[in-house]
Amino acid sequence: MSLSRKCVPFTPFDGDLSKSTVALVTAAGVHLQDQEPFNIADELGDLSYRIIPEDVDSSQLMVTHHHYDHSDADQDINVVFPIDVLRDLQDEGFIRGVAKKHVGYMGYTMQLKAMYEGTAREIANEIDKGSRADLVVLTGG
Amino acid sequence: MRGIPTVLITVSPEVSAQMRPPRALYPHGFKIGNSLGKPGMRELQKKILKDALTLFTEDTRPGRFATHEYPVYGEFHEPPRVKTLG
Repeated sequence: MSLSRKCVPFTPFDGDLSKSTVALVTAAGVHLQDQEPFNIADELGDLSYRIIPEDVDSSQLMVTHHHYDHSDADQDINVVFPIDVLRDLQDEGFIRGVAKKHVGYMGYTMQLKAMYEGTAREIANEIDKGSRADLVVLTGG
Repeated sequence: MRGIPTVLITVSPEVSAQMRPPRALYPHGFKIGNSLGKPGMRELQKKILKDALTLFTEDTRPGRFATHEYPVYGEFHEPPRVKTLG
């Protein structure tokens, strides 16, 4: 099913944040140091994504992205991928928990159709089937 | 599949709007690469993430961008604009 170009695909939320589990999906090129970096040599962009586990040590995360200045994220990944901040909110009881899976991808592509119809759906399926997330926070660079 | 509610934190609201996100928070004047502020500003980062999550519980109009001010950030950067052809 394709959406009208004027349609906003809005899913309502009628729950309670303190009973909700939250996943992060970032276009900021975040991945684990031991995962394959995004391919910044491809002028068309890299359509792949990386799964980031719930128990990740944020010091093991890095950024591969050549379309924004990520020097601040290199110092503190939370400025684009707030995984430690999410844990703080869990500790405070503001949310119930941190989801089992999070996703990083490189939000630059000249292959918009493939991103929209391929990568985006795959990421949605990863979150829907495997993360146990009730809510998703999206971030860019 | 019913869908999963999402909220976007963006420092490029005009560019992001082209993808019609259901809910979005724009920290006014933040530079690209600082979606949640600067390194080590944990209280600011928490405030922004809480504000973004709170948009789930508000009666938001689909596609609305909520612009929030965070003076403690201490800088102002013009957001990128959408380039038009011709």
